[in-house]
Amino acid sequence: MDESRPIFLQIAEQIEGDIISGALGEETQVPSTNEFAAFLRVNPATAGKGVNLLVDEGILYKKRGIGMFVAEGARARLVAKRRDQFSTQYVRPLIEEAAKLGISADQLAELIRKEQSA
Amino acid sequence: MSAVEARPRNRVLPVVRLHLANPWTTITFPWIVMLTILALTVLVWMLILANIPDPTDRMNAREGFGYSGSSGFIFVYMIVVAVQSINTMFPFAQGYGVTRRNFALGTGLYFVLLSAFYSVGLTVLSIIEDATGGWGVGGSLFSVGYFGDTPAQRLFVFFAILVLFFFSGSAIAAIYVRWKAFGITTFFIALGFVIVGLGALLTLVEGWDEVFSWFATTGLVGSFAWSLVVSALAAVGGYAVLRRVTPKN
Amino acid sequence: MSAVVEVEGLTRRFGSLAAVNDATFRVEQNQIYGLLGRNGAGKTTLMQLLTGQEFATAGSIRVFGENPVENAPVLQNTCFIKESQKYPEDFQPRHVFTSAAWFFPHWDADFAARLATEFRVPLTRKMKKLSRGQVSAVGVIVGLASRAPLTFFDEPYLGLDAVARQLFYDRLLEDFSEHPRSIILSTHLIDEVSNLLEHVLVIDEGRIIIDAPADDLRGSVTNVVGAASAVDAFIGTREVLHRDGIGGLASVTIGALSPAEQAAARTAGLELSPVSLQQLIIRRTSENTQTTENEMEKSA
Repeated sequence: MDESRPIFLQIAEQIEGDIISGALGEETQVPSTNEFAAFLRVNPATAGKGVNLLVDEGILYKKRGIGMFVAEGARARLVAKRRDQFSTQYVRPLIEEAAKLGISADQLAELIRKEQSA
Repeated sequence: MSAVEARPRNRVLPVVRLHLANPWTTITFPWIVMLTILALTVLVWMLILANIPDPTDRMNAREGFGYSGSSGFIFVYMIVVAVQSINTMFPFAQGYGVTRRNFALGTGLYFVLLSAFYSVGLTVLSIIEDATGGWGVGGSLFSVGYFGDTPAQRLFVFFAILVLFFFSGSAIAAIYVRWKAFGITTFFIALGFVIVGLGALLTLVEGWDEVFSWFATTGLVGSFAWSLVVSALAAVGGYAVLRRVTPKN
Repeated sequence: MSAVVEVEGLTRRFGSLAAVNDATFRVEQNQIYGLLGRNGAGKTTLMQLLTGQEFATAGSIRVFGENPVENAPVLQNTCFIKESQKYPEDFQPRHVFTSAAWFFPHWDADFAARLATEFRVPLTRKMKKLSRGQVSAVGVIVGLASRAPLTFFDEPYLGLDAVARQLFYDRLLEDFSEHPRSIILSTHLIDEVSNLLEHVLVIDEGRIIIDAPADDLRGSVTNVVGAASAVDAFIGTREVLHRDGIGGLASVTIGALSPAEQAAARTAGLELSPVSLQQLIIRRTSENTQTTENEMEKSA
C-alpha cells in the first residue's frame, strides 16, 4: 500500500486493475469485503469503502444475499477512464523528466518507438 | 454483531472459582506438606522413644510431645495465600472486568470457605489423634491444649484463627497494593506505636492484671469469638483500602 | 452511528502532572481504533479510566452509556489486555483460558484453543516460566477469544516476534469481520498497524491532539524536497510541520496538496514524497522536542 493516499482508493484501483486485466471478468462474483480485508490486511470498513466506491460508479453491483458482481460493460468504461487519465498520469511526468535531461520531443518519440520494437 | 449483554451476571462465584482455578496451591500442596510433617514428626517421636531405655524418662519425653507447634504451618501458609490472592489475583481480575466490590465479596467468601475446609480437616485429624492415643506415641499436633478441649471447640478455634489470618493478611496486602512499600512501612510503624503505647498505658494504670483476668474469664472460645470481630474489621478495612486501588505494573 | 465510549473534559491528575488532560472524544461502535502516542503520553491511564480501574479527577466518562467505575454490567462487556499483565503466581496458560470463560459472556473456548496452538503457547507450563513473547501471546489470545464488545489492547506484544505479530493482526482482522466489536489498540508500532485502523486517536502529554479517520490522515501531509530556494518559493506562507536541510537542499513537511499544486511542485523541480502515518504522528508529537524524535523513530 502507498502511504500517501487513502487505502480505500487504492483498493478500488486494485479491483479496477483486475477488471481491466480480465482477472475479474464481467458478471463474475468478486471476493467479499471481508475476504478483501483479510487478503490485503486492511480494516474491513476500509475495504468496504473501496468496494462501495465502485458500486457507486456502477462498476460493481450487489445481488441481494449473494454478493458483489462486476457489471456488464465495466471493463470498457474503466479503460475509457484510464485513457483519460493516461496523459496526466504518465505522459506529463515523462515529458517533465525528459525536459530535465534535455531530451527533445522528437528524441522522446524515437525512444518510445525503439522500446516498443525491442 | 456482538450484542452488549445488559443482564447482570453473578460475578461473585466466578471470583471464588478463580481463586481455586489451580487447586494445587491452596488445597493439594498444603495437605501434602501437612501430612508429611505429621508423618515425619511421628517418626521422630518413635525414634526418640525407641532410644530411651528408662521407663520414667520415656514418660517425661512423652509429655514433651504434647506441645508440638508444627501444625502451625497451615496458618502461616494461609497468610501467604491471603497476600497472593490480593497482590496478584486482584490486578488479574481487574483485567477480566471484575469490580472491586465483586472481587472483595468473592475473595471474602473464598476465605471463609477455605477456613471452613481446613478447620474441618484439622479437627478430623485431632479426633484421629485422640482416638489413636496420639498416633500411638502420645504425641499432639492437633489436639493441643491451646486449640481447645473438645472437637467442637477446636473446630471453632481453627476456624477463627484461619479467618483472622486470611483477613488480616489480605488487608495488609491491600495496603501494599495501594501504597506499596511506603504504605506497609507506615502501617507497621503505626501498629508498633499503638502496641507499645497500649502496653505503656496498661503499665501506667497498672491494668495488666485486669487484661489477664479478662482473658481468663472470657476463656479460650470467648477470646477467639472476639477475634472474629477483629477479622471483620480487617475485612471491612481491607475493602475500604482496595476500593480506590488502581493496579500498577 | 452509536458511540460505545463518550468522554468529555476528562482529566486525571497525579499531583501536578496531568496524565490525561481535558480529553473529549467518542469511540464509535464496531470500529478498530488506534490509540497512539509516545511512552508516558497517557495512553494506559486513559484506558484505565475507561475500564474503571483509574479514577477521574474531572470530566465525565460514559461507557455503553454509563459510568464504568464499579459498574459490573458495563465492565463484563469490556476486556483490557495490558502490557506486562501480571498473572497469579501458580497459573498456567490453561488456568487463564479456563477461568476467562467464567468472566467473558462471549468467550469462545475453541477459538482460544486454536490460537494457543497457532501461537505455540504451552498450556501446562507455569506462566512465570514462559518466555516474554509467550506471556504476551496468552494476553493476545484472551483479548481475541473474549470477544468483548469493547476490547482494549495496551501494547499487547512485548517480546512477540514479527511472525507472531502478523498472526495477531491476521486473526484480529478475521475475527473482527465475523464478530464486529469495538477495539482500541494502543501501540507504538504504528507502521505495522496503520492499515488495520479505521480511526486514530493521538495523545500527547495527556491531550488528544489528533482524532480523525485513518483515511483522512493518510495524505493529509506531504514531504517536499528540493533546492532550498525552490522549496521556500513553493511553500510561501504555508504552515511548515517539519524542516530538515543539508547544504542547499531542504526537506519540508507541509499540509496536503491539490493535484494542481502537486503538478506545480513537480514543474518547479521539487520531489514530493508521501508521509506515513507514523512519520505524521512523530511530526505532530515532537514539535517542541526535536532531540527526542530520533529516539522514537528508533524505538518504533
